[in-house]
Amino acid sequence: MPPQSHDLVRRSMSKIMLSDDLRNYLNRLPDVELDLLLEAYERPLPEAFRVNTLKASEEKILERLKSRGYSIEPIPWARHGYVVSGGGDLGKSLEHMLGLVYIQGPVSMAPVEALDPRPGEVILDLCAAPGSKSTQIAQLLRGEGVLVANDISFDRVKALSSNLQRFGVLNCVITLVDGRKYPRFAKGFFDKVLVDAPCSSLGIISKNWGIARAWSIGIVERLSELQRRLILAAFDCLKPGGILVYSTCTLTVEENELVVNWLLENREGARVSEIRLKGLRHRPGITEYNGVRLRDEISKTMRIMPYDNWAEGFYIAKIVKEGG
Amino acid sequence: MRLLTSAERRYLIKRLEDQHGVEDAFDDLVLIRTGQGRIRATTKETYEAACRLRRVQQVGLYVAKMVKGDVILSIEGSQLLGAAITKNIIELSEEEAEEWMKAAPIERSEKIESRYVIARCGDFYLGSGRVSRDGKIYPQVAKWRRIPEE
Repeated sequence: MPPQSHDLVRRSMSKIMLSDDLRNYLNRLPDVELDLLLEAYERPLPEAFRVNTLKASEEKILERLKSRGYSIEPIPWARHGYVVSGGGDLGKSLEHMLGLVYIQGPVSMAPVEALDPRPGEVILDLCAAPGSKSTQIAQLLRGEGVLVANDISFDRVKALSSNLQRFGVLNCVITLVDGRKYPRFAKGFFDKVLVDAPCSSLGIISKNWGIARAWSIGIVERLSELQRRLILAAFDCLKPGGILVYSTCTLTVEENELVVNWLLENREGARVSEIRLKGLRHRPGITEYNGVRLRDEISKTMRIMPYDNWAEGFYIAKIVKEGG
Repeated sequence: MRLLTSAERRYLIKRLEDQHGVEDAFDDLVLIRTGQGRIRATTKETYEAACRLRRVQQVGLYVAKMVKGDVILSIEGSQLLGAAITKNIIELSEEEAEEWMKAAPIERSEKIESRYVIARCGDFYLGSGRVSRDGKIYPQVAKWRRIPEE
């Protein structure tokens, strides 16, 4: 094939531009329908939000929104989650500013549902900023127990702090720590840990097409190394019997299944657990990649393509620490 | 960041009673003093967890600020106290609540003696507003929290 100008390929029917590297990578992935993926990338993501039951009853808030002209449909897999259409810009509404609603993508609500926070638990959100999943954890804790929301970036912690304030979370601690170092002082401290890891974001290209242009396998390999260290740290912070959820909004095997496989090979007590989320279309985790066979239990993890639900693409793994 | 001393706590509670008729405010919560007279509230369990952790940036919820002996309640602080607020409270219409969240001054025909009032719109509390000599009420809404002007 002759070289393309600026190493980019423009699809005849598609507005989105993928680099050759990315196109080749996606073509090599098992179980990916590239045409559907490109179609999903071109569609806007559905607008969705959670009702903040820490501030008022669900019925009262929904009634307010409906009276202001919003049409609302529940998201089957997320408690308090709704897809919204009509009405004005929810992000500039009184309800948003008062913290009665939190705007969040529908599939982005799935990792915390997989974690299933229960009142009274002590939970760490290791890569928490800007705080969507932290506020969701806080909501499900219902004011009982403790949420520790951590991030490595001071600027991002400011956004995290604002969102936890707006959401009205009393039982939270914000820390500014490199997640890889967390076990140095909090080994075995938490009932549950969420690692929503920094990633190459191939599941949310429709939000920002620049992601597709900036993508490279080098970035993926660097992120994969970081993710491996984060997942080990998170696991070490769990009490015996504790639960870890690892998630990304990307599609690469290096950042998903290979990271979980790395944990299973490096921590004896780690076991992958089934995730059940009502109505969320997904496919099993990949267990064979580039001629390498991964642990069978990786098939219990969840790979969600953007065209599965015409929303964000995600990967979610739930891991139990044996011995509780 | 440090715990409020007993004297500081008693003073805050007294001022909240005088200003807004709240009795035994935040009595089941730990109160923490941070910079610029700000007060945060949290649970005992959360505070104990924070003591075990490192590089703690914040604990709990910002509820109030002490300014020259007056208590300014945040939106969340006023929501937390809710129905316990019985004095110096004004009721806003939906339209006025929108204006309040843009930090636009609100006019009231009745004379207000206090320097600060709490605004409410139905079941929702919107924090403190400063009563000016010209009779207007200036909402104390943080910039990041305001509804942007069109």
